[in-house]
Amino acid sequence: MPAFFEDVAVGDEITPLLVEPTTTQLFFFSAATYNGHRIHYDRGWAVEVEGYPSVLVHGPLQAALLARAVTDWSGPSGRLVSFRTQNRASAFPGEQLRFGGSVEGARIDDGRGLIDLVVRGEKDDGTLLMPGTAVVELPRCGAR
Amino acid sequence: MTDDSLIDERATAAIGTVIAQSSGTVVKKEFQRWAAAVGDRNPLYFDDEFARANGYREAVMPPLYLPHVTLGVVDLDTLRPDGIPGESGTSALIPLPKCPRWMAGGDETMFFEPVYDGDPITASRTLDSVEQKHGRSGAFVLITSTTRYLRRDTVVAQSVVTTIARP
Repeated sequence: MPAFFEDVAVGDEITPLLVEPTTTQLFFFSAATYNGHRIHYDRGWAVEVEGYPSVLVHGPLQAALLARAVTDWSGPSGRLVSFRTQNRASAFPGEQLRFGGSVEGARIDDGRGLIDLVVRGEKDDGTLLMPGTAVVELPRCGAR
Repeated sequence: MTDDSLIDERATAAIGTVIAQSSGTVVKKEFQRWAAAVGDRNPLYFDDEFARANGYREAVMPPLYLPHVTLGVVDLDTLRPDGIPGESGTSALIPLPKCPRWMAGGDETMFFEPVYDGDPITASRTLDSVEQKHGRSGAFVLITSTTRYLRRDTVVAQSVVTTIARP
């Protein structure tokens, strides 16, 4: 993980985060977000009423996992400044999900060192779940 | 507006107005439960000393937890059959009776300030647009709103959220 803005180069890859969400994790995420939507915990409702193959991984959980991949990479000196995601596909428990990205740019803005990232969540078959972008601020070397 | 419009005129009338305001107080254990549910044991969220060594006042709230700080209290007998709040939730703020199925579309949030345990947060949500679209699986309605999160007079974050409603 980079300690300083100067440690990052365009093209650097975020270490991918691999997660296989379970129905238990989905339930805990519903509880932690006070979310009663049955498509996330009631399989009978999700399958028989709404026509999904199983309960659904929450979009905000996918986003949180993608942000986790970013902040794991940027480390404790990094600060998430901006985060943009789009929901493109549904994910289901038991599927292997991958969250990663790469550095697209590095710029100084008003004295701050900002890293522009392109990020994505996907299934192991390559299905795009969540494209996005992130901006992370890192301290500049010697600027303390 | 044609007969096959999915958009209720009450939803159109709400464009440009503040459709919701809510407030809440950040609780460390609640954001830590959220982080643990994500599997994110980042010490910045759990360890005061570690956070202080990295320039924070104490253990900091995970930025993506912010929308959950101001959630209200839901009465079970007001829920829709699918478990979504019927009276106080988003689906009631933007009346689209022809489109009962709601899904998150996308989200762009700018974070301006770290947020900590005990911070009072007010969220103020403005409806930007309600548009009917056509996708691979038929017609849907795209709803865009902007939420500003304030700690007293300081804007700590601003979020543009799109939601998809389907018949």
